[in-house]
Amino acid sequence: MSMLLLALDTATEVTSVGLARVEGDGVDLLGSEVVDAHRAALSRVLPMAAAMLSSAGLTVGDLDGVVVGRGPGSFTGVRIGVASAKGLAQGLGVPLWAVGTLDAIAQGFADRDVTLAVVGDAMRGEVFPTLFRCGGGRVVRLGEDHVSKPQPAALEWAELNTPLLLAGNGLRKYASVFLDALEGNADVAQEASWVPSPGGLIAAWIAARDADELGDGVAGTVLPLYTRVSDAEENADACTRAEPMRSPAPTAGTTTPDAAPDVVSGGGLQ
Amino acid sequence: MIDVTIDSASQDATQAVGSALGPIVTPGDVVILSGDLGAGKTQLTKGLATGLGVSEPVTSPTFNILLVHQGRLPLYHFDLYRIDTAGQLEDLDYWGMLEADGVSVVEWGDRFAEAVPQECVVVTIHVVDDESRSLVLSGRGVRGEELAAAWARACAGLIGVSVSFGASS
Repeated sequence: MSMLLLALDTATEVTSVGLARVEGDGVDLLGSEVVDAHRAALSRVLPMAAAMLSSAGLTVGDLDGVVVGRGPGSFTGVRIGVASAKGLAQGLGVPLWAVGTLDAIAQGFADRDVTLAVVGDAMRGEVFPTLFRCGGGRVVRLGEDHVSKPQPAALEWAELNTPLLLAGNGLRKYASVFLDALEGNADVAQEASWVPSPGGLIAAWIAARDADELGDGVAGTVLPLYTRVSDAEENADACTRAEPMRSPAPTAGTTTPDAAPDVVSGGGLQ
Repeated sequence: MIDVTIDSASQDATQAVGSALGPIVTPGDVVILSGDLGAGKTQLTKGLATGLGVSEPVTSPTFNILLVHQGRLPLYHFDLYRIDTAGQLEDLDYWGMLEADGVSVVEWGDRFAEAVPQECVVVTIHVVDDESRSLVLSGRGVRGEELAAAWARACAGLIGVSVSFGASS
């Protein structure tokens, strides 16, 4: 049975929207658009989706589900993407599934035999460093999402003594930190591959489906992956639970029934 | 750390100091403004807006918290006076805006240590008398020092403005 999926991610400085018909492992990408939308994701994402559906001769009513990149990324970007996707899925009465933004980036390298080191920009001088093993059309995540200063993350990777392919928007600021620490044992992927593509989001959804990690598809239980707790949530946490800080986030693609969003553990937590 | 003192003889001169910054700022530059109510933080920002080619009026964003003006670069004009805790900055996407495509000016930015990025120029405005002000520029980080020095050079020769390098008076 084929499914028509709308995929979107606004966790980085680009807004990524795709429309795909998926049947088993077969993906027919009907539309795919990645636009630079610095501070403009909110005004771009739904109009892009509407235009894509209409140019494919389809309407929102034809959608069988929505796939959203849940972060980590910019706080407001993640919030806009997840909220837009939740509203859309809930309004249409179709399932919503979240995939990791870094996983979607890594899926772009599924056919290359590389150890991919994704460096997402966490801002405030920090990054989201995560390793993936890619090759043969598969991507295996080698660690959990977390926040780190660039230097310790780079040194940790250098200790692996493995050639790495670097990708991610954090390289715009910190490429030299990683290249210096890795001492020539690393290459930098093309900049166009540093952000989650619509095809990558769909591929991450398929990978999560095959690993039985998609969750229940209930929009209300899909959680954004923020870097740091927002003030409002911190206050709410303080009111409702004894321990305000959350444990490390579950792996991407999973959902938990908690009411509060996941928070990436690391140096950013106070 | 570079410290520069700029003495301004009038409100017009304070605006001229701000205006001199317009041509030399680049995306991601941050200016943190500190000084009492009425010291001239908004006047300095008005000048910067003029220097960036912003044509609309610039007012204090005390109630809005953030006002965005489009000039040669976007001008993100923050006022943190009404912010209660540093945690609320994340709700504003404060760091996202600072590191984006424009120049940010933050009034009352010194209220929270977290609000002052590693690279910035901190301007402390002292009231001398009704009209004249003393502005102390302190560059933080490589870019902050570079920008503070370039700004001071750009102010040399402005009417009603005198620039002296070194610690504040």
